Amino acid sequence: MASNSTIRILDGNTFVVSEDTGDIEATPSEPTGLFSLDTRFLSRWVLTVNGERLNALSYDDLQYYEARFFLVPGMATHYIDAKLSIIRERTVGGSFREQIIILNHDEKPVDLEIRLDAGSDFADLFQVKDEIVNKKGELYSEAEPDRLRLGYRRGNFVRETSISSSAPARYDREGLAYTIHLEPNEQWETRIEVQTTAVGPGGRDLRIGVQAHGGERPALQHDLERWIAEAPKVNSQHEDLASTYRRSLVDLAALRFSPLSLGGATLPAAGLPWFMTMFGRDSILTCLQTLPFTPALSKTTLRILASLQGTRFDDFRDEDPGRILHEMRYGETAAFEEQPHSPYYGSVDATPLFLILLDEYERWTGDVALVKELEQESRAALRWIDDYADLVGNGYIWYERRNSDTGLENQCWKDSWDSISYSDGRLPPFPRATCEVQGYAYDAKTRAARLAREFWNDPAYADQLEREAEDLKQRFNRDFWVEDGEYFALALDPDGRQCDVLSSNIGHLLWSGIVDHARAEKIAQHLVGPRLFSGWGVRTLAVGEVRYNPIGYHNGTIWPFDNSFIAWGLRRYGFAEEASTIASGILDAATYFDGRLPEAFGGYERELTKFPVEYPTACSPQAWSTGTPLLLLRTMLGLEPHEGHLAVDPRLPVGMGRIEVLDIPGRWGRVDAFARGRMEMHKLVD
Amino acid sequence: MDATTRFFEEIDRRGYEPRLAKTTGSLRIDLQEGPRTMHWFLKIDHGRIEVSQQNQEADTVVGTSPQLFEEIASGREHGIAAILRGDMTVSGDARLLVQVERIFPGNPDARGPRRRFQQEVR
Repeated sequence: MASNSTIRILDGNTFVVSEDTGDIEATPSEPTGLFSLDTRFLSRWVLTVNGERLNALSYDDLQYYEARFFLVPGMATHYIDAKLSIIRERTVGGSFREQIIILNHDEKPVDLEIRLDAGSDFADLFQVKDEIVNKKGELYSEAEPDRLRLGYRRGNFVRETSISSSAPARYDREGLAYTIHLEPNEQWETRIEVQTTAVGPGGRDLRIGVQAHGGERPALQHDLERWIAEAPKVNSQHEDLASTYRRSLVDLAALRFSPLSLGGATLPAAGLPWFMTMFGRDSILTCLQTLPFTPALSKTTLRILASLQGTRFDDFRDEDPGRILHEMRYGETAAFEEQPHSPYYGSVDATPLFLILLDEYERWTGDVALVKELEQESRAALRWIDDYADLVGNGYIWYERRNSDTGLENQCWKDSWDSISYSDGRLPPFPRATCEVQGYAYDAKTRAARLAREFWNDPAYADQLEREAEDLKQRFNRDFWVEDGEYFALALDPDGRQCDVLSSNIGHLLWSGIVDHARAEKIAQHLVGPRLFSGWGVRTLAVGEVRYNPIGYHNGTIWPFDNSFIAWGLRRYGFAEEASTIASGILDAATYFDGRLPEAFGGYERELTKFPVEYPTACSPQAWSTGTPLLLLRTMLGLEPHEGHLAVDPRLPVGMGRIEVLDIPGRWGRVDAFARGRMEMHKLVD
Repeated sequence: MDATTRFFEEIDRRGYEPRLAKTTGSLRIDLQEGPRTMHWFLKIDHGRIEVSQQNQEADTVVGTSPQLFEEIASGREHGIAAILRGDMTVSGDARLLVQVERIFPGNPDARGPRRRFQQEVR
């Protein structure tokens, strides 16, 4: 995994991960390199001067798509008395561009041999992730008078890296070199362009016409400025909150991704470095988090997911008619069907979540046209819930992969192999029905009933959906309730036995509204109680469970996105105090990561560690962690569309001070929201 | 009759495909084998489809071999994977192909989801 000292710049699904000198020396398992379309296009990129490696004095990641490195000759162990400075400035956006500037500070002229080693293993991102690079095709390297071409060919599958320089260079099969002479105080520079291509037999690149913007630096800059200008402004007395918000907005801009089939419109990719692609679940949840701030993302996400909705049975891809996709990939393993992501449909929650987002989107924006446009897909999604997801035939959503080689075992958000267990630690057989997905199904039907009644002119269908939702709620509260613990079971096994562990999933149930009111208070108490709440946030699995481990991926770590939906759920049931406790813990944690919440951090007690411990292989930035502060803002301010207006009902954590959110877009035009938190008692005394 | 001809004749017979109700445009499939190229031309207007074998200009042109398309038309090969592999090429509006790909049949051997304790879903 990329360590903290790596520098990452990105634009959609093209990104560069390097050392702090700008150099790239990837090993098969190390995710450094230039990546695009889930393929590594550069695995070696090393700059030397007179045969010597360079040492970083400093670096700047100026914007998410550009970085600058200040270097001097010699390694860090040497005494540095440099008479030369080297500046590398790079941008990614469509292609990868690097400018190298060399300054001579000496009183004497110098003669220099500049060399840039370049190479690529063309590893598929999946091969890097799983540490297996076993190429079946042929690598090639061709030095031409004006460029170096590195390539990989397997049948008609061709990926090529083309490297060219503005200053005349000597190209060989392993890089390019310059011989230069610099007078005192003279400088030399060159611009290097690295083009990545995915060419078919017709010589046409797969990606033509798919870029969100021009890809040139001014276009990227302009696009980012516009993105920020169009989003609401957040001012707060709590300094970190405004900067966390800004960090989130910029990261969301970076994670925008334009799929091949959408003609330039963007939706959020899931996260760097492993998940710079379209994910049903991640994209939808991120849209739900960010709707009050960047509603355009939701529209594109709904459209693209609808356009790729399943239409047939495909056991390799776990595809069924009406099912919303899980993950799309463009690399070699997807192309040759060694992995099923073309696209893969093995997600049990993306389909109900799709319906939830469509309704929530209309409530904010009033975009009735989209609700009408997607009626057919919505009905197909509802049919999937009833027909193809009910594998046991008892009215719940279940999952069991049909692709037993490369499909996902756990198709809920906690998708690691050991995330679903009984309280004695054993893993249940398949199919499995996790609790939060039943909540999503309830919410999806309730919301779809509104859409059917108000926009599809089908009141009979609306009545039917409401009856089904009510029936599901009653059965759920009977079958999933763990009597002695007084919470909902994580899942049911196919024989109806409960996976009776206490988990964060119960928080999502509040968000969905499936919890009987009489039981909500008990659930709220668990969520902020000592077994689940660490002081920073709610753990995925409670302390005391057999499989609890504070750094267990889904068995004890704290996921910021999970917490943001839990806080939303708590407010839905009127537990504003508990919601603000969670919001406060997560926003405090964000300050330790410069406002950029990681995918997950350790479930250790806050008192014990004093700072949140980042999960070792967490992705960052990750879309739904990036969306978390935005949803927490919504939750704290109690922003809710209500009869065509925006209702504001703030309940801020103690000590949060004043918050204003200006220009919140929606069916009301743009409105502002203001909130004032309660003061801390000692500050009132001062 | 081969699966390719069956596939297009079936579309032509139905004349309307609800899964393409939002789709409008023209798509030509060029099946190249040596010096010979066979054409299938689809004119789609909000789900209404006309099929012909004319070599007409189209918004989207798809090129592949008759053998591969035969496998796709019978559900044994997957269109998107074939594009990623470079075994099928697209020029013009790629979105149209992604939409039309959805009406290609699924694998005839697919089991589909099965209910554990009751009747099969299919």
